[in-house]
Amino acid sequence: MALSPKWWSRYGYHIFIGGLALLMIYPILWLIVSSLKPNDEIFSTAYSLIPSTLEWNNYVTGWKGFAGNTFGTFFKNSFIIVILSTIGAVCSSALVAYGFARIPYLGRGFWFGCMMMTLMLPRDVTIIPQYIMFSEFNWLQTFKPLVVPQFFGIPFFIFLIMQFIRTIPADLDEAAKIDGCSKYGIFFRIMVPLIVPALMTAAIFSFYWTWEDFIHPLLYLNEPDLYPVSLALKLFLDGESLNNWGGMFAMSTLSLVPVFIVFFVFQRYIVEGISTSGLKG
Amino acid sequence: MKRVLTILLTLALSVSLAACAGGNGNKGAGNATNAPSEPVKTETPTTDDKKEPVTLKIAWWGGQSRHDYTLKVIELYESLNPHVTIEPEYASFDDHWKKLAPKVAANNLPDIIQMDISYLSQYGSLGQLEDLTPYTQNGAIDISNISEAAISGGKIGNELFAFNLGSNALLSVIDKDMLEKAGGTMPTQDWTWDDFTALGPVLKAQGKILTQDLRHDVFFPFYLRGKNQLMYAADGTSLGYDDDKYFIDFYNMYKGWYDNGNLLSLDKLAQKKGTPEDGELELGNAVSTWGWSNQYILSSTVAKRPFEILPVPGWNENKALFLKPSMYFSISKNSKVKDEAAKFISFWVNDVEANKIIMGERGVPVSSAVKEALKPLLTPEQTKVFDYVAWAEQNSSQMNPPNPIGAVEVDKLLKDTAEQILYNKLSVADGAAKFRLDANKILAANKK
Amino acid sequence: MLSKLKDNNHVVGYVFSAPFIIGFLVFILYPILSSLYYSFTDYNLFQSPSWVGMANYEKMFTDDEKYWKSVFVTLNYVIASVPLRLAFALMVALLLNKTIGGIGLYRSAYYLPSLIGGSVAVSILWTQVFGDQGLVNSALGVFGIDTDTSWIGNPDTALWTLITLSVWQFGSSMLIFLAGLKNIPKDYYEAASVDGANAVRRFFKITLPLLSPIILFNLILQTISAFLTFTPAYIVSRGEGGPLDSTLLYSLYLYKRAFQFYEMGYAAAMAWVMLIVVGIITLVIFQTSKLWVHYESKGER
Repeated sequence: MALSPKWWSRYGYHIFIGGLALLMIYPILWLIVSSLKPNDEIFSTAYSLIPSTLEWNNYVTGWKGFAGNTFGTFFKNSFIIVILSTIGAVCSSALVAYGFARIPYLGRGFWFGCMMMTLMLPRDVTIIPQYIMFSEFNWLQTFKPLVVPQFFGIPFFIFLIMQFIRTIPADLDEAAKIDGCSKYGIFFRIMVPLIVPALMTAAIFSFYWTWEDFIHPLLYLNEPDLYPVSLALKLFLDGESLNNWGGMFAMSTLSLVPVFIVFFVFQRYIVEGISTSGLKG
Repeated sequence: MKRVLTILLTLALSVSLAACAGGNGNKGAGNATNAPSEPVKTETPTTDDKKEPVTLKIAWWGGQSRHDYTLKVIELYESLNPHVTIEPEYASFDDHWKKLAPKVAANNLPDIIQMDISYLSQYGSLGQLEDLTPYTQNGAIDISNISEAAISGGKIGNELFAFNLGSNALLSVIDKDMLEKAGGTMPTQDWTWDDFTALGPVLKAQGKILTQDLRHDVFFPFYLRGKNQLMYAADGTSLGYDDDKYFIDFYNMYKGWYDNGNLLSLDKLAQKKGTPEDGELELGNAVSTWGWSNQYILSSTVAKRPFEILPVPGWNENKALFLKPSMYFSISKNSKVKDEAAKFISFWVNDVEANKIIMGERGVPVSSAVKEALKPLLTPEQTKVFDYVAWAEQNSSQMNPPNPIGAVEVDKLLKDTAEQILYNKLSVADGAAKFRLDANKILAANKK
Repeated sequence: MLSKLKDNNHVVGYVFSAPFIIGFLVFILYPILSSLYYSFTDYNLFQSPSWVGMANYEKMFTDDEKYWKSVFVTLNYVIASVPLRLAFALMVALLLNKTIGGIGLYRSAYYLPSLIGGSVAVSILWTQVFGDQGLVNSALGVFGIDTDTSWIGNPDTALWTLITLSVWQFGSSMLIFLAGLKNIPKDYYEAASVDGANAVRRFFKITLPLLSPIILFNLILQTISAFLTFTPAYIVSRGEGGPLDSTLLYSLYLYKRAFQFYEMGYAAAMAWVMLIVVGIITLVIFQTSKLWVHYESKGER
């Protein structure tokens, strides 16, 4: 009865992994199908994966947005916020992570503790003072409260990259030091290429988290022509109005496209990144 | 690069705007000009065109259709008043309030805020809102066509903190066809709760239910009104009814419907999104839905069939029926342009052209002139609502004062208690006692 | 002299850490301290905070049934979802750590659920899966079990639908594991193969130890984020935490106190209790990590 490893690697693997994958993406299929259903079918035939007619019009009415601001504007805003944030978050986090992971200095434990603490405090209670602070900075109604803090390191990414640096043998640093490399040189020439998978992982997360974040834009941006997609999607629905569910689903589907592309492109670097063994020689 | 450009551009714009905005100095940073369009210069201004330019911020909640038509009204206003630029801020209901919370703390509220009765006490009595009485006296808000009863719904004590945008009355929406197909007869206007209960078995035989649920925070206080009782004491420090008998009677009746399978079971109710699109009446599973009159149009539009309107049973006991403002506009205390804000509110409630765009979406207009002007334009379904509200106006009494601070928490407590009763975790009598105890504890915080 | 300073570990350390330290002092410190202050006050946002000492903490521990309810719901959620999610993520990551054609598509398929996160669509979707006429009941129907229970609406099962949701969105942990697996030098495996170690042995002797820093990372971060979970409970229960408070997670209750009832002081006290508890748990994990985490670089922490 035992199947040979060969059979497993050829078919069994695909059957198992592929089957599970179908289960995983069922909801996505459902979302896409719903975006093509006429408005009144979304609830009456919610279980069905086959719409009676293909209602491409959902994409038209959805894209139209709200009173003159089309989803073109919202996508543009999202891209500006997300790209700047991601660059800022990944670069600064990598620097800090190297400092925390490899350089023993006075007060390191204290600052590391501060960093972990910021991860643990529920955000709801810092919203108010933060808002007052940014209003004192005169930063409201701009992208600054969303983007600038990202350039000072994100605890999640710092810790993530730290743990990756710690999996890299310390003799690599030592060898470089003997060759006359400064700590700065070690970081830029040796460490960065080695932690590409971690950096790409951080980039994927940063891109997605900023993309889907609506609470900060909600608080800091008042004017709909500055809204990102995440916030615009929330404008569709209301308990006391007639709702454009089709448009909401259509735009939800569309908003998945950039994050999916980013993931698909970047995941290759995670797995096909430069392997450590190549550098050992 | 783009970012730098955006910053520079924003800065440049805000500087130039601030320069021409002169004295009205809007608080807050970088007022990037976001108005849908610059004031149309070519149009002949009906008002004095030498007026100082003014920026008004307006915040409201709603869905896509409301956002769209509200912006049309704003454009109309801007074209008639070229010196005014309006910055809209819109969101869904929950987000609207979430967004305002930090602005309260930072003293940075928009000039005009769409207000809900459940938040009125909080915002009004804690000093965030401007008393509008002077503006109604000096004519900035024209009230010549608006009854005192309609205006008073926005009062706390003697201060008018919010201006009524439309009247609502409680009603039940009945699917007459379903009822008659099931062998029932359409009840008359003078029906009672017992008549409603009696329909239960008739519909159950067809696999239908009476209704999905009745909102506890709306219908229990209404029931109390019929018994000449109040939900909250006048000073807001305790419940207003002294005898738990009312609670027990109402929830025995409610539990009876639930246990007989005439309401939607709680586990299925938990799946509902609370939008008209997934309502049980609209989907054809329930014979009625209960709520406010402005929701009727939605129900029949979504369901694509007309329904019948009946007043809520008990409406004629102690004149329990009342008109309630569906929502309000308020002016924030920190606004620097209160006069202009008041003029916009006046335009909103009085201007016929504007109301031809609004078409009663925020409740039946409060101005009698507007109501008359809209009448010929109404669809048959809209006419039903206008007629019902007009009838209710004749057969109602003054509404209760706005709920005290802490009422949001008490409403939630009532809902939780009712759920525990329906799940048989509490007897009705125990529930009544526990609700009283916990509610009074919350309300006691108002004693100061 | 200058170059010596430049290479001094303390100086270099602060140069590298500067972004975080500056950011912490400028953007984070003030809000954190304010929230600590609020926790000792009665603060309703409308009026300035008034000092009440420990009253908020006292009320929380002695006079708030819902508080304790939310603590138990949260503990249940954390204890069930963290191990399940990590185990699932590690298993799938191991299966997907291959270089064969089409693997990118598989990885995307497994990551996709994590991309639809907290949108409104998810809440409707979850009703489609766990509702009375949902996918789960249809699947049970195939096996002859006919039921129209709503798994979402039943107080006994509602929390489990949230746990399932969290396991289903395991993509971020999986991605981190994948990146960690990638970082294990290939020659370690080659050497082990030469020595004749089989797959299972290789997994326990090489993969697990070398992956342990990443496992530690995922364990800590998943634990923290499980304690702070808000979005799924908020969207699936429409912000209510129902039915019968069975999905009233700590963060959801805190949110309601802060933004529905405007009791910011009480919410801040709740937040600080959470911070202390999660901090202690994290410390304990860090302490035990000395026993099982293997760092390539010696002399660190």
